[in-house]
Amino acid sequence: MRTPAAGPRTRRSCPMIRFFVLFLVLLAVLFGLELTPPVQHWFVVPWTNTLARISAGIVTLFDRDVTANANVLRSVSSNFAVSIEAGCNGVEATLVLLAAMLAFPASWRRKALGLAAGVVAVQGLNVVRVISLFYIGQWNRDVFEWAHLYVWQALIMLDVLVVWLLWVRTLPRSDADPPLPPGAAAAAA
Amino acid sequence: MARALRSLRPPRLSAFILAVLAWLPLTFAVWYFAAPLLLWPAVLAMQGICATAFAYLVRSVEQVGSNVVFTTVLRPGTGLSGGFVSVDVNLLLYSFGLPLLAALILAARETAWKRHLLVGYLVVVPFIAWGGLADFLKNVAITAGPAVASQTGFSAGQREAIAFAFQFGSLILPAIVPAIVWVLMHRRFLERLRTAPAVS
Repeated sequence: MRTPAAGPRTRRSCPMIRFFVLFLVLLAVLFGLELTPPVQHWFVVPWTNTLARISAGIVTLFDRDVTANANVLRSVSSNFAVSIEAGCNGVEATLVLLAAMLAFPASWRRKALGLAAGVVAVQGLNVVRVISLFYIGQWNRDVFEWAHLYVWQALIMLDVLVVWLLWVRTLPRSDADPPLPPGAAAAAA
Repeated sequence: MARALRSLRPPRLSAFILAVLAWLPLTFAVWYFAAPLLLWPAVLAMQGICATAFAYLVRSVEQVGSNVVFTTVLRPGTGLSGGFVSVDVNLLLYSFGLPLLAALILAARETAWKRHLLVGYLVVVPFIAWGGLADFLKNVAITAGPAVASQTGFSAGQREAIAFAFQFGSLILPAIVPAIVWVLMHRRFLERLRTAPAVS
């Protein structure tokens, strides 16, 4: 009974395996590049500082008590501060999305559009993360640790996954067929 | 019958996201309280790796709740007698993807959800071990300073590799592995998701 399905399943698996292998290779290369001193100096550090300024700019719309200095967001009255470090600047999440979109078979135009929208979505939620952690930290340090180390990490990855799924939905069937084959639903039934 | 019909109905992305968010508090609670049990296989893997590859460096690997304590043969500094360096690693840092994976699986409402939970867990465990082990190696080879690092015998290239393994194992793998595992196990669900309207 399984023999007739073996052919199509193998054909479906090859592009999927190609996608995941390419995705992991791209991710490792991009992550390795991110760790190099020039990329840190010219991109990661300036972006992290910009993220702190954006977060402070948004917070000061409703709370004048906040200042940003380099990658540190500080409450003037309580002197509580959060420092935005690697893993909290959304760069890794953006790299995951970048690798997933580059590895997925689609036209370069669609990849560029998806990346532009995706980066805004991922970094937008990351600003929410930074601001929420800033206030959670002033309220309860244990809850801050939990939210910082575990909950927000999972939520940001969920955000990346959802953005990727939304992008895949926008692709024409011929573009997106390999990893999510049209025959799969029928095979499942 | 109802289950079969539900499996044919295209799931909506918005409903799926809400279901994931609804499951997350429960899966996080289960993960946190069951961590000593859930992390035990990862500790076993680390014990096995240390006994074979780092026997010259590690005296014992013990689980204390959700932490793992590596006791080494390294001295804290030259000229000091007594005492060995021990490294305490919080394995929750490398396993927070488990509740995310469980929430994704439960929200997808596939009939094989129990198998997916088991397979997903088994796939994630080695990566938790990777994170814990890389954290330990980073501590003794880099963070602890030259007095301890010089006793490990690691070359400059090996220390670079340890640094990369730690960064990759802490910043990328804990979050990305559950997502990859979930996508691989839910291709049919994803296909149905693609054909359904985004919002209810």
